[in-house]
This record gives sequence, C-alpha cells and structure tokens, in this order.
Amino acid sequence: MKFVQSKQTLAALAVIVFGFAGVFALSGFVEKARPPLPAGFEDEDLALQGARLKGFSLGFEGLLADWYWMRALQYIGAKVIRDRETNDNFNLENMSGLNPRLLYPLLDNASTLDPRFVAVYSYGAVILPAIDRRQAVKLLEKGIANNSNEWRLYEQLGYIYWRLDDYERAAETYGKGAKISGAPPFMLMMASKMKSAGGDRETARAIYEQMFNESPDRQVKENAALHLLELDSSEELDAIRSALQSFREKTNRCASGWREVLPLLQTIKLPRNKSFRVDKAGNLIDPSGTPYILDKEKCDARLDEKTTKIPLK
Amino acid sequence: MYRIFSIARNTFREAVRDRVLYNLVLFVLLITASAIFLGELTAGHEARTIVNLGLSAMLVFGVFTAIFVGVSLVSKEIEKRTVFAIFAKPIGRGEFLVGKYLGLCLTLLVNVLVMGAGVSLALLWVGGANLAASVWAAILLIFFELAILTAVAILFSSFSSPALSALLTFFVFIIGHFSQSLRDFAENLGSAGAKVFFNAIYYLLPNLSFFSFITNAAHGDLPNARMLAGAIFYAVCYIAVLLAAAILIFSRRNFK
Repeated sequence: MKFVQSKQTLAALAVIVFGFAGVFALSGFVEKARPPLPAGFEDEDLALQGARLKGFSLGFEGLLADWYWMRALQYIGAKVIRDRETNDNFNLENMSGLNPRLLYPLLDNASTLDPRFVAVYSYGAVILPAIDRRQAVKLLEKGIANNSNEWRLYEQLGYIYWRLDDYERAAETYGKGAKISGAPPFMLMMASKMKSAGGDRETARAIYEQMFNESPDRQVKENAALHLLELDSSEELDAIRSALQSFREKTNRCASGWREVLPLLQTIKLPRNKSFRVDKAGNLIDPSGTPYILDKEKCDARLDEKTTKIPLK
Repeated sequence: MYRIFSIARNTFREAVRDRVLYNLVLFVLLITASAIFLGELTAGHEARTIVNLGLSAMLVFGVFTAIFVGVSLVSKEIEKRTVFAIFAKPIGRGEFLVGKYLGLCLTLLVNVLVMGAGVSLALLWVGGANLAASVWAAILLIFFELAILTAVAILFSSFSSPALSALLTFFVFIIGHFSQSLRDFAENLGSAGAKVFFNAIYYLLPNLSFFSFITNAAHGDLPNARMLAGAIFYAVCYIAVLLAAAILIFSRRNFK
C-alpha cells in the first residue's frame, strides 16, 4: 500500500515538474511564433481610454492612474535604454525618433483617472516637448484646468512656451502663475524677463536653477541638472573657442593638444567663478567629466557625443 | 443581547479556525514588496502608490472575504445540521442571523485594522508620514462598505444557494459602484417610466461610491465630517434594512 502511495506521489511530482517545464518552453515558443507587428506598431495599443475606464474602475481609479504612470515611466525608459545601446547620438532634446507614440495616451489616461496627480503633468512637461510640443501644451493645460491653484504647472507651461521661443505666451503664463498664493517671486521675475530677454542664457539658467532647487519631482530635478550642465559647457566652449582663436592668431596654426592652450585658458574668467577642469591625462573635461574633443582640422572644440552625459542639441 | 454576542464571538473564532485571516500574510507580503520596489518604479512617488495599492488590496481582500465567508455562514450550519442544535436552545432566528453578521464584521474589522497598520508602517518606511495618519478615514469607509456587502451576502444566503448568493453579492458590489451612473442615465432619459425605474434601482441598490475615498486619501485628503457621518449613517440604515429583510425571509425558511 505504501509502495503504491509513494509511486503515486512520485508520478504526481513528475507530472508537475515536466508540466511546468513544458509550459515554460511553450510560452517562449508561442511568443516567438506570433507574427510580428509592423515596425510603427510595435507597442501594444491602449485598448481602453482613461475617460471610459474611469467609469468601470470600481473605486480603484487611483491605482489605475498609478499603473498608467508606472507604464509611462517604463515605456519611455525602455525605449531610451534600447536606443542608447544601438545609437551613440542619443538626443534628449528630440526623442521623436524613438516612436514613443503611446507616451501621451499613457500620461493622458493617468491624469484622467486621477486629475490631481501633478507628477504626471510635470513629467509630461519635461519629456513631451522632446516628442510633440503640441501634446505637451495640451497636457499642461489640462493640468492647470484641474489644479488651478498649482503654480508649478504654470511654471512648467511657461517653460514649454519658452522652449518653443514663444516668449509672449511664456510671459503671460508665468504672470498668471505669479498671482497664485504661494508662488515664489521667481514667477513674477520670469514674467517680465521673458519679454525683454527670453532667449538669453542667463534666463535659461534661472529657469533650470529654479526647477532644480524647488521641484519636488525627481525627474524634473534630473532634467534640470542636465540642462544646467549643458549651460556650463556652453560657457566653457565659448571660452575654449576664444582661446583657440587667440592661439591661432599668435602662432598661425591650431593647437595640437590641450596642453598648448591651457595657459591661455587659465587667464579667462568663467562666470560664477568657475574654472576649467583637467583630468590626469591632461585632457580638458566637460562639466559631466568627459574630455572635450579638439577638432584640429576646424580648430574647434566640441562635446564628445559618444560619452558625454550632457544633452546634445 | 448576550446571545447575539455569543454567536458573534463563535463566528469570529470559526473564521480564525478556518484560516480566513491568512489573507493578511499575503497582504503583508504585498505591502512589504511594494515599499521596497515601488521607489524605482514610480520615480519617487511610492507613498501615493502604497496608499492606492494598499487600500485597493484591502478592499478586494475584504470583498472576497465578505462574499465567500458571508454566503457560507448560514448555509454551512444548515448543511451540517448544527442549526437544529442551535435553535433547540433559547435562540431566535433573528438573533442567530445578527450574531453571525456581527461575527463576520468583527473578522473584517480585525482584517482592515491589521492591513491599515501595515499600510501605515509601509508609509512611514518610505517617508510618507503625512499620509500614514490620513489613510485611516478611507479605511473606516472601506470597513463600512464591507459591512454593507456582508449584509447583502447574508440576505442572499438566507434564501439562495451559496454559489448563487456569491454571484449575486458580487454583482451588487459592481452595480453599487455604478449607481451614480444609473441615476445620471435616468436623468437623461425622456420617458417618465424609465426615469422612475432607474431611480428606483438607484435607491434600492447600495451606492458604494459613497465609500470610495482611496484616490483622495493618496493625496492626503480627509473626508469632511458631514460626508463621513452621512456615509456611516447611510451604511447603518442600509444594513438595518438588509438584515431585517434577511431575518424576515430566514424566519420563514423550512430547514427540512
């Protein structure tokens, strides 16, 4: 009797183990056997729309909003990682090449299910301008309509208009935000600065410093930090180019290496008392720690597209 | 009253013996994993997700407990014939039903209290201390929603089979969250008859959206006193009606 029982147990265990092995193998097989989608439709479609979904959420709309939020983060994150693996010239300023067609619907759904989820609008304000600026404006306008007392959303919409070089609207938006109680003096300052000096580097620095110091959102902070590095490198590149020009005028040739221009660079004062940095090998390095490239043919300096962390325009 | 409490106490003990509270282990695992992993997945917004996930899971676990334990409370006693032994004693059918109901409510209360403590601790862990206290208003509303569903389950089980009762109670949970839509639908209809019909359904079925406060709780909102008191009184009235109907049907039921 005992022998029969143990035989049955062994048989059952064998069926479980082999059955699971079969399920595991078949899952991969079916996945591979499925006919591929056309390249433009490689993402899954959103079968449900936020507005419709809200009616069927049974009180779980907050959880669904979180799910769409996490999907949006993973969606764009996965695309960026994939692109960086294959493409050395990843451009944070223009991500339309990644075909991120679902990002806006994902963020739109998250904000429809929870219209007070401010982080969704903030994320859209940072990422969507690099994909579709019209959608970025639409999302922020929706955010303001649902959260009219959030001055940060006005700041972010003003930022998008500023990036669109629409300084008139940017000034108007910063002005509206400045009237909200709790808005920092920065908003009023920007409202007046946009009209007079919207395209200045100093205006850009003020915007990104404000975002970096005051935003509660990690994504916004990280993006602002990268843009601040970009502004630092622009200032450095201006000074390097001027030093290279002076060197050529004096010697009638371009500098053969950084060591030749370093004495000249040390005489140049960078804004905010910053100074040039040199690595152990004697290379001049950008604010992200990557050596600048000296183009001897053009007698010019530029960021190393392959390794720098600074967003390239 | 003492008899009712004795039955309630025994129902609670029975639920513990039947390992109903084991769902707490699953819940604790879910919340712990959320607290650890959500930081990366939500880009620093893990506190609101813990509230949404924790309270939604609390509601789902509670709904299934209310439905599956609720429908079997009476039928099990009839199937095992223990109902004859109970009614041989000086216990009325109404007292039996109310005692069973209160026992399951106590089980659900322990469930939501432990789960609520789990959510609060997870919030403290991820630095969401401001939400750790404010979620308790939403938890109170969840408990009353579960209390209504338990009463619905007991009403159905007083005259129907456990499987059908579970199905019907689940439908009430779903429709209960649509009742506001039913009313809006009635308002937009041209026909007066249809208006009366849909309005009747609106008042007849429980409006469970009164107890939905999870999304607000994730923003640190607290329900105002009028809303909270209104929802609790609504639940008490509705439960009284359901239990009265259940007692009415159960007292006429033939166990043979």
